[in-house]
Amino acid sequence: MTKIASILFLSLFLFAFQEKQNIFLSNAIETGIYSEAPLENIAAISKKGISVYNIEKGEIQFNIPIKSLKFKKSLMEEHFNENYMESDKYPFAKFKGKVNQAIDLSKNGEYPVTVSGDLDVHGVKKQRTINGTIKVNNGSISVFSKFDVLCKDHDIKIPQLVFQKIAETIQVTISGNYNPYKSSK
Amino acid sequence: MKYKSLIFISTFFISVGFSNAQEVDSLMNQMSPKKDEGKVIATFKSSRLILSQTTTMVKKNNLDFKVVHRFGDIGGDNGGSKTLFGLDNSSDIYIDFDYGISDRLNIGFGRSKYSQLLDLQLKYALLQQSEDNKMPLSVSLLAKTGFEPQKVVQGYYANYGERFSYLGQAIISRKFSKSFSLQLSPTVLQRGKVLSANDEETLFALGAAARYKFTKRFGIVADYYLIKSDFRKNNPTTNYYSPLGLGFEIETGGHVFTLNFVNAEAIVENNFLPNSTSSFTKGQYRFGFTISRMFSFNKEQPIVKQH
Repeated sequence: MTKIASILFLSLFLFAFQEKQNIFLSNAIETGIYSEAPLENIAAISKKGISVYNIEKGEIQFNIPIKSLKFKKSLMEEHFNENYMESDKYPFAKFKGKVNQAIDLSKNGEYPVTVSGDLDVHGVKKQRTINGTIKVNNGSISVFSKFDVLCKDHDIKIPQLVFQKIAETIQVTISGNYNPYKSSK
Repeated sequence: MKYKSLIFISTFFISVGFSNAQEVDSLMNQMSPKKDEGKVIATFKSSRLILSQTTTMVKKNNLDFKVVHRFGDIGGDNGGSKTLFGLDNSSDIYIDFDYGISDRLNIGFGRSKYSQLLDLQLKYALLQQSEDNKMPLSVSLLAKTGFEPQKVVQGYYANYGERFSYLGQAIISRKFSKSFSLQLSPTVLQRGKVLSANDEETLFALGAAARYKFTKRFGIVADYYLIKSDFRKNNPTTNYYSPLGLGFEIETGGHVFTLNFVNAEAIVENNFLPNSTSSFTKGQYRFGFTISRMFSFNKEQPIVKQH
């Protein structure tokens, strides 16, 4: 009996270990926001986004610290945080969802995918299905996606008293390389 | 025995299954930076309120260009309709450049109409208030040298050194909420030229300033200095008053406008601390404004590329 138990025990361990091979992490997701405005374009980039992707289950999550978005103009950055995103209250933009297509880790290539889930910006969640690409290259993966976020969808108010008009639509670009999760870490 | 191991195995199986379901969430939590690690931003909209400078710094590679204006007395002998309530006169005009050497070190240069003062200053952000309140205050240190190049009657300045004045200030601020910020500034001013034999060469003062925002872009500010001086307190010939300013602050994206009413004629500390002889109650207060425009010399942000 104890023999059977230990074999089961071991196989469970192996099972658990294999399960973890399907989890990929990134702590250097690059996020770009871009919007054309009459006086000056709004552009910022963050390299501090994090993401976890469970290939087997298709679960994927992103977490972008709003304050890590760096602008060319420091004042614009401050206004972005203080007046629009209210990053003291809502420090992260989040996405939590599922990749709708299966990815074959053993086959190199670019997989066009759609991802469905909740996009949480400025504390307001919005159900979205977003197009993207997942690239598999010798067991490592990278993702890329470009999509629009509407300010009004997330209750981001644009005041009247602004000389520079701010676009209602912000183009968001997400890109990053993932590493397999090692539980021994 | 059999029963026991079955329970053991099934619990183990359940726990493994459970941890897998939780895996993505818990990994996200582990990796997420804590919100509280951040520094509190935008305690004040600008590095200057009405009278006081603030703990707010000009960011690295940014140049803050300010024009500060004080008109003439609104009421009293020099005010009224004959000067369009002081708008015909200007008691002081100040042109100011502040540059961010780093996010924590600023250098500033300015020129006043009042005694033609030229000034050069350094401001260093010693402490910055953090969101988790481990650091409850922001503290900036300010050192300023003023120089009066004005041509005056022979003998007004006994020597060249009398043209200089030195200001040291610790600016201590706290952003209590999104809308309310308060600051205190213990100040010492060392002057080369004093008004009379009894006048203190070294003046101590305490500044107090507050900002309350009604909306994201509109707020009111109050600014006050208490000056410790026996010479000023009981002066038989001239009345001295504590400088007090009240005003509105409007931010419009690239600019910050401050519209204010203030009794002090001069704009720079080196001038208004020793020389404020105007009284609110006698109508000797004036309209003033500050326009701040930020220029950035940072590089363009690169666009995110596909990996």
